[in-house]
Amino acid sequence: MNKPLPSSGVLALSMTDVAAAIRKGDVTAVEATKASLDAFAAHDKAINSAIWLERETALETAEAYDKLQKTGKILGPLHGVPLAHKDMYYKTGKLSTCGSAIRKDFKPTYTATVIERLEAAGSVTLGGLNMAEFAQNPTGHNRHFGHCRNPWGTDYCTGGSSSGSGAAVAARFVFGALGSDTGGSVRLPASICGVTGIKGTQTRVSRYGVMPLSFSADNVGPLCKTAKDCAAFMQVISGHDPKDPTSASEPVPDYLAMLDGDIRGMLIGVPTNYFFDDIDDEVMAAFTEVCKILEARGAIILPVTIPNMDAIATYGGIVSRVEGGTIHAQWMRERPQDYAVHLSARLYGSYGIPAVYYIEGLAKRGPLLKALAAEVFEKCRVFITPTLRTKVPTLLATDIDAGTPGAEKAFMDVSLNTRPINYMGLPSVSVPCGFDSNGLPIGFQIQGRPFAEGLVLKVADAYQRETDWHLRKPPISA
Amino acid sequence: MTRKLSELVEEQAFTWSGVKPPNMPGVRLAEALESSISGFEALRGLLAFEDEPSSFEAALQATKEVC
Repeated sequence: MNKPLPSSGVLALSMTDVAAAIRKGDVTAVEATKASLDAFAAHDKAINSAIWLERETALETAEAYDKLQKTGKILGPLHGVPLAHKDMYYKTGKLSTCGSAIRKDFKPTYTATVIERLEAAGSVTLGGLNMAEFAQNPTGHNRHFGHCRNPWGTDYCTGGSSSGSGAAVAARFVFGALGSDTGGSVRLPASICGVTGIKGTQTRVSRYGVMPLSFSADNVGPLCKTAKDCAAFMQVISGHDPKDPTSASEPVPDYLAMLDGDIRGMLIGVPTNYFFDDIDDEVMAAFTEVCKILEARGAIILPVTIPNMDAIATYGGIVSRVEGGTIHAQWMRERPQDYAVHLSARLYGSYGIPAVYYIEGLAKRGPLLKALAAEVFEKCRVFITPTLRTKVPTLLATDIDAGTPGAEKAFMDVSLNTRPINYMGLPSVSVPCGFDSNGLPIGFQIQGRPFAEGLVLKVADAYQRETDWHLRKPPISA
Repeated sequence: MTRKLSELVEEQAFTWSGVKPPNMPGVRLAEALESSISGFEALRGLLAFEDEPSSFEAALQATKEVC
């Protein structure tokens, strides 16, 4: 056996590297888990990324996995790897607050399929991470458990709704974390915290045992340091689940095998409409560099027009909103005061949207996807855009509850580029691509045809072979 | 429109769902639905008689990546 790595160095590894180190015997599951828990204990006060952690249970699990490994058995590709997840993934008997006061004591009686799959693959679950209340804001504000803060600058938002997942991975507290993405909630914190995050094709990953927000647009997805980690993570959680009849039966390819770095001759589209409206100069400059790097690796960048963007933006703006309003109606009648101001304010408007428009939004989704595929994906394999159009806003600038002037618009603008992708159901990965003049990360997102998760990750991985934005360490980190 | 949109939303939310305005930001965001209404107004005529929600799952299959 090689000499074990020092525990202070373990957290610098990627998820796939630490998994390999554990398999090889260079690191034990207990060492990795202890390092992770110690990092939370030492640094999380500054960024508030965790809602709850189970230290003793996690260490006991890790110890059991180490003993198992000594008998020659490995549970799976994530054997011994500590992970923590957005606090909305149900596990029997464990807390699942959904970031809310309403469910602050909720302990489900069944377990999410994605948790079962991750634990069957050998991961050690540490606890529940901070999140927007009921996954319903794009900034990471949380009145009930405290705002999650960006490890690159604590006055700035983390992005939401998977705020704790983005912050904890960026700060190197954990090697990966589940988020969820209904309008950008994986990609926004990934971009804003400087990590990599993917939402799969709508229906790609089971949602059984996952707190619902919008059954038409909810997606489960990971945030990790690298595209390779995201590929390994998606490999474990993707695929049909009999407990979620909406999950796709589409076979899951070998995502890791697709990451060969070869994008020579690949046609990559850059939209000429919508996604760059009123874009910040610094974000645009970073995105321009992305195009140059992809071209340097042999890709061919070409302009594409995304058809029907007005329709996609309009329909995409109401479908998940109405569905969220529907499932929250009883609590909105009985205990509206238990929601944060910004959330009850947002839910309230959904009761004024006529059903005929909601149904129109659902009915046009298929035809609009077909039109987009015919117009865009016949010309290019993937298309890329900035994940946000703006620099990372501060928590104060987007704080509706605090009454900040202009906060409502700033809040809604955060998800302008991500929300339409959910409506179209496309796979999309956000990748770090620079820093703004405030020292906060910038990201871009890569979209492909339905079930092209492997392809978008391949492009992300090719980009990361040329850059080190995803490896930078924030001021607050382990 | 002679009445404010927020008043119409208040009436509809309470009449159909029993939900009252929770706060002033809620009232302001209800007013902001004006842009959604304009968006839908611009899309009138786009919906075909045969369009239906289930077409989305079929479209995912019809447009999927083929390795």
